[in-house]
Amino acid sequence: MSAQSSLEQSLVQQLSSQFKDSVRSSSFKAKRFKITVDETIILKVAEYIRDQLGFDHAASVTGTDFPKDGVIEVVYHFTSYSKDDLRKVVGALAVRIPRDSPKIPSLINVWPSVEYHERETYEMLGVTFEGHPNLKRLLLPEDWSDIPPLRKDFTLPGR
Amino acid sequence: MTLSVGPQHPGSGHFRLIITVDGDIIVKAEPDPGYVHRGEEKMAEVRNYIQNIPHIERPSIIDASGILYPYVLAVEDLLGKSAPERAQYIRMIMAELNRITSHLYFLSIFGIFLGHSTMFMWPMGDREVFIDLSQMIGGTRITFSHFVPGGVRSDAPDSFADKAEKTCDYFEGRLKEYERIFVNNPLCHQRTVGVGVLTKEDAIKLGVVGPSLRASGVKSDTRRDEPYDAYDKVDFEVPVYSEGDSYARLRVHFDEMRQSMSIIRQCIKQMPKGPVKQKLPPQLRPPAGEAYARTEAARGAMAYYIVSDGGNYPYRLKMNVASFRNLIAIPYLLKGVHLADMPTVYWGLDYWPVEADK
Amino acid sequence: MPIENFEDFIKRVLEIVFWVLVFSPLVIFPLIFIVLPSMMGLIGIMIPGPIGVNDILAALADPLKSIPIMTEFMKTDFFKIAVFPGFTWAALIATGAILIERKLLAKMQLRVGPLYAGKFEGVLQPIADLLKLIAKEIIIPRRADKLAFWCIPFAAMAVGGALLAIVPVSKQWVVTNLDVGLVVAFAIMSFFPIIALVAGWASNSKYPFLGGLRALHQMVSYEIPLLLSALGVAVLAGSLNLVKIVETQSSIPFLLVQPLGAIVFFIALMAELERIPFDLPEAEPELVAGWMTEMSGMLFGVTQLAVYVKFYALAGLFTTLYLGGWYGPQILPPEMAEANAVIWFTVKTLAVMVLMMVPRGTMTRIRIDLMLKAGWGRLLFLAFVNIFIAIVVVQLGIVPR
Repeated sequence: MSAQSSLEQSLVQQLSSQFKDSVRSSSFKAKRFKITVDETIILKVAEYIRDQLGFDHAASVTGTDFPKDGVIEVVYHFTSYSKDDLRKVVGALAVRIPRDSPKIPSLINVWPSVEYHERETYEMLGVTFEGHPNLKRLLLPEDWSDIPPLRKDFTLPGR
Repeated sequence: MTLSVGPQHPGSGHFRLIITVDGDIIVKAEPDPGYVHRGEEKMAEVRNYIQNIPHIERPSIIDASGILYPYVLAVEDLLGKSAPERAQYIRMIMAELNRITSHLYFLSIFGIFLGHSTMFMWPMGDREVFIDLSQMIGGTRITFSHFVPGGVRSDAPDSFADKAEKTCDYFEGRLKEYERIFVNNPLCHQRTVGVGVLTKEDAIKLGVVGPSLRASGVKSDTRRDEPYDAYDKVDFEVPVYSEGDSYARLRVHFDEMRQSMSIIRQCIKQMPKGPVKQKLPPQLRPPAGEAYARTEAARGAMAYYIVSDGGNYPYRLKMNVASFRNLIAIPYLLKGVHLADMPTVYWGLDYWPVEADK
Repeated sequence: MPIENFEDFIKRVLEIVFWVLVFSPLVIFPLIFIVLPSMMGLIGIMIPGPIGVNDILAALADPLKSIPIMTEFMKTDFFKIAVFPGFTWAALIATGAILIERKLLAKMQLRVGPLYAGKFEGVLQPIADLLKLIAKEIIIPRRADKLAFWCIPFAAMAVGGALLAIVPVSKQWVVTNLDVGLVVAFAIMSFFPIIALVAGWASNSKYPFLGGLRALHQMVSYEIPLLLSALGVAVLAGSLNLVKIVETQSSIPFLLVQPLGAIVFFIALMAELERIPFDLPEAEPELVAGWMTEMSGMLFGVTQLAVYVKFYALAGLFTTLYLGGWYGPQILPPEMAEANAVIWFTVKTLAVMVLMMVPRGTMTRIRIDLMLKAGWGRLLFLAFVNIFIAIVVVQLGIVPR
């Protein structure tokens, strides 16, 4: 592989060796890598990614509902503006949390840019981000009383 | 006093800002988006990969190619295919044409927000010539649905090169006139210089994207950072200003239009002959996996995160749009500015409510 | 007769028209003959010799005979107030100015502007606008102060009209020739901010209120440079009488003697009139429409007309103070000197108005703090300098009193 993929590989290896026991899975391809960790240490991993690896902002927070496995996977995509060689890399930090009580610590103190993304994930998937200062409804109407719409058991009428 | 700016307000768009003012100074601004939320992400989960194309570009019809581009790249990434070379160039031309029309729209609203009605009319009029140009390729005026996984829907006609050249020549002259009447206008300086300053550190911390980021001195452009399609084969500058104020944001838009025209010219020159679409089955079934593709749309980095389970429909499609990422900067920048500067600061951040609400 | 088809309908209409035509001479003409003479007495027309029904009948038959009645009528104050230098004339010019502004702005912006109303270049557009505004519903906010809200358009119109009364169109055509005309003009002008503030307050809505406050700030702070720059003219003319001020300019307009004062006056006037770049009270992107936000239908129409009447009156004041009022080369035959004066005054005033419209196409709106700084810091200073220039000029005897 080229020098690029070795960069992603080294990043993944660095993370895996740092948080040996808590890393569930990791993968990488050209310019992308993804690492899944336990939700208990996500704050530490995120701080490590920010401070040691140099990824200075999170681009998005999103989640995927997997009813078959009974989990919701929350994914933070992060990249860097300040480090030139990291700009082309987009990393993903994922946690898989139980579907019936989805709770993870908020990363707003690590990456302030996640504020509105976490709010969106909260209302769309029902994931509670503990420590988020303003976890309110964002896009949905105020009187929305159904289940979070991006869960798989929310079906669109007529579909 | 608390003001509810929008959603029915000439300066807000489909969006509400709850502003607390102390005299003429804003002490707190709280955005309240969601008035045009349509659940694009949920819709995408019940439509197949081709059916998703038209509705995905609806949130940002002034930059329809820009918002569709990363989706197409993400699906191609999942499929492991790529577009023929000519299609890549046509995509780039369309994306740049859309960048120009979107920036012209930006300029015209920026103008009217400063009370400059001529600057409202001129870019709106000149936007039309670029719409005509993209109509030659895309077939419609604004919502083209022109990019498909594996290429583009239709080829550029032979007469396109001449017309594009003429249009670019005309527009370069017009840009000078814009600068004379608006950008170099002392009153415009007075209203924009030093207003709504976003420092480099804050821009990085808040993860701002697009022209607002480059106006704050961060030289980051996805077209340069992670060249997709044939962007590594064309030569262009990334305009950067270090001031981070409204004026710098205005200037970035100006310079980007010049660069876009240069990219279009280079694309026309370099474009090879050949097919514009790869043969793909009508029902796309990408293998299970996930892809994160990003491009530089007119308003900044636009990204799609697609999770596929091997079926007809995307299992999960996340639109990470530029406007939504800039939303965080609105309350941050509005704190402490004059009420009169609210529209310029807000619009200068390239926030497009429809796109952010998805 | 039931109406069953279109033919019946036409028949019915023709029938009504016929009977109206038959009865109207029998009813309306006697009414005119009875009411008109007594009306004339009321409005003060003194017609030499006895005038009776026969005279008016004769005038109806032969329009030439009505000329003496008309000339008498034109000498009355009522005519001056209501028709010529006064209200009707100003309203005509104001609607004309709206049309000119729209066309001029359109040309500057590479557009066509109003085009379809009227055969030529949309000349009937103001009438179309008027009809539209009349047809619109007047909505008053539920918790607005109804009385004040209804009074605003008329108060605005009254103040604009009061200003018209003192601006001399020519030596003969001035409604009131006051010895302290200039002072009265500024006294009337000080009503404008009050009207804007009351309008904002009466709507009981936040944007109008902010707009009203801004209007208050702006007008109050720009009134002072306005007054001080006009003082230079008063020093030169040695009079506060507007007619006398014009008469002293018979040889040389004060614009050439007092260019600095004219510039300060012009800028302050633009602020007083809330024209771009000083249209902060109506700044659209942040304040919707300023103190006029809650106005609708004809209330808005009348307010807008009042704003333009004020526009005309103040442009007329500028003409009076700096451009030599009605003086100008004789372009009409010598026996029509009055008409010549009126034409010159109108042309100059329209030129001033157009000059005030041009910035609308080329300038951005200024911010309130910058504007107040410019007003108190620079214009005031320049106005003082200008007064000293005027005094020096008078002391040196350059301009004959």
